[in-house]
Parts: sequence; C-alpha cells; structure tokens
Amino acid sequence: MTLPAIPRIETDRLVLCAPVLNDLPAVTAFFASEQSHWVGGPKDALGASQTLNATIGHWVTRGFGMWYVTDKLTNAWLGCVGFMFAPGWDEPELGWSVSQNAQGQGIAFEATQAARAYGAKHLNLDGVISYINPANTRSLRLAKRLEATYERATELLGTPCQVHRHPTLQEAA
Amino acid sequence: MLDFAIPVLETQRLILRGPEAEDYPDFKATFASYRSRFMGGPLNEYEAWMLYAAEIGHWNIRGYGMWMIHDRETDETLGMAGGWFPAKWPEREIAWIIWPDKAGHGYALEATHAARNYFYNQCGWEGAVSYIDPKNLDSIRLAERLGAQKDKEAATIDGSDAVYRHPSPDSLTGSQLEHGIEMEIAHYADPLFKPKGWAID
Repeated sequence: MTLPAIPRIETDRLVLCAPVLNDLPAVTAFFASEQSHWVGGPKDALGASQTLNATIGHWVTRGFGMWYVTDKLTNAWLGCVGFMFAPGWDEPELGWSVSQNAQGQGIAFEATQAARAYGAKHLNLDGVISYINPANTRSLRLAKRLEATYERATELLGTPCQVHRHPTLQEAA
Repeated sequence: MLDFAIPVLETQRLILRGPEAEDYPDFKATFASYRSRFMGGPLNEYEAWMLYAAEIGHWNIRGYGMWMIHDRETDETLGMAGGWFPAKWPEREIAWIIWPDKAGHGYALEATHAARNYFYNQCGWEGAVSYIDPKNLDSIRLAERLGAQKDKEAATIDGSDAVYRHPSPDSLTGSQLEHGIEMEIAHYADPLFKPKGWAID
C-alpha cells in the first residue's frame, strides 16, 4: 500500500504540514503541558509518540486529518489543527490546539481558518462542527471569532462538551 | 514527503502487507479481547482505532512497522508482525500478535522470520529485541524458537517486561538455527509426519 501525501498549506505566518519525527520533542512537551488537557492529555512520551503516529494514520484511513502548525520562518512547532473523526465522534470535527508559547497571537485563528477553507474546498468537509469543553473559554472565544454557532450540548469520550457549527464556505463568503 | 510504499513480503503460506483501513475490524476484535492483555489491551473502541492509526503512521515516521499477516489463499487476516519503535522503547523491537482463533499454526513464526530477514537483509539492522511480558509464555516460546535469548542486562521499557535479544544477522545466516526455523515452518505448511491412511485400530 502507498501512504497518501498530506497536503501542505501556507498562510501569512504559518505552514500546515504533515507530522515528522523532528516534531516529537515539541509534541511530547505539549502533551506534558496543561494546554493538552483539552485534547486528551496529559500523555507521557509514549502516548505523545503514538498520537503523532496516529495523526498520520488518520489521514490514511479517513482521507483527511490534522495538520501540524509550524512557524513559517523558524519552523517551530506551534500546535495542530484539522479534522478528526474517530469512534465516539458523531461527524468529522474541526479541532485546534496550540502550545502555550504560541498563544495570544492569533495563530489558532489563522491556522483554523486555513484548515476550514481547505476542508470545504478540497475534502468535502463543509459546515463542520467543533467539540468544545464548556470550561475552555479560549476555544469558545475562538469559535465565536470564527462565526461558529452553538448547536447543542453533548458528551465526547465521557466528557461533557458543546457542539459548535461552522458556517459553510458559501455562508462565510 | 509521504508517498511511501509499504513493502509486501511473501512466504510459503502468507502475504505480509501494510495495514489497510478494511483490515481494521479484525484488529479491533482482537484488541477488544483478553488476547491483547500483553499488548496494552484490552482497549475500548476509541483506543483501538487510535492504536491502529498509530500502527500505520509508524511506517511513515520510522520507515518500517507492523505488517498485516494475510493467508495467501483466502487473503483473510491472521495477525500482525514486524518492527515497532515508539518513544520510550530502548531499542527497535520485533513484535507479533496472532488473532486468538488463528493461533497454533505457526503463522507468527513464519511471519516474524520473514520480517526479521527483511530488516536484516534489506534495512541493515544489526539486531533487534522483543519486549515480552514474563507471563506471556506463548510469546516467550516463540522468541526462543526464533533463537532469541533473554538478555538480563538490557534496558526494559518499564521494568515489567523481559528483553529477548534476537541473534545477529551474522550468527543467523546459514546457521543450524535458521535451518531449524525453516524446517519447522515447512512442517507447519506440509506436516510430513502426520500419518496418512494410517490403520485405525
């Protein structure tokens, strides 16, 4: 079998790209940090490496997935963004998370906008949802800024969360 | 960077191919069962799916990984075997798992022997280990049939596993051990000593 190419997306400041082994130290640090608590963390080094590998495998099995977000100039790992659809998910989700040192610079906004537009244009993923923990005020604010609207309360993997629906490409235009 | 083809290995009874999305139900069934207790299981649906995705991504990140073992004739899956090297693993591991209802036919021996030969002859590995739960007697016996020996000095993953060190390529190639492995596989494929037309009395 051949593993598919994960598309590369460039924005003003960022590159969205496939995970590589060099990302592992930053990903391991992320999963040891509090920021990871919203996305299944904390995880130990083994859990972080399995997650990195699974991010690639998700693209292979689903044809879409999450990108790693890197700084266009320094190549530093800043976080991840993209589509997730695993057992327990009602439909493909647009998710995001950024490391602590990347917060407060509009990086998640820039990355998520790019991923959302790519999904709508190329992956047949338009008007998707985001699952957000009601205590995650940063992500709730970002969802609002992205003009996603609250749809319902639900549970994801046993954790209460809200479903927010993104505008379709047409609605956003 | 990703367009990468997972090699296909063929043996007398088996074809080893990269894990495909369609093979997932067989994987999930085994990892939901008690059979997976020595491989970090049993896992719930989400965990099993993510592990399967990680098995695929491992190929991309390391350039090697776990193959899905298929029956040559029926194409059904029988288990997995190959190389495994996630974070916290002290050394590259040769690993295997056979679905519970496919055990006892020498499939793990045949698949693992082929995988190890591939790593030694095509990837330039100078050796490998297998990390085995000391209670996993079937796997310990397989490691020993493959010529691996318990290495009490070697670093373990977390202290609860035993390290079995595989023979080096030099000590394996052309050895009596290699002939023995191949003879055992041949006997599984065609049991020479099974009585045929034996008198019933």
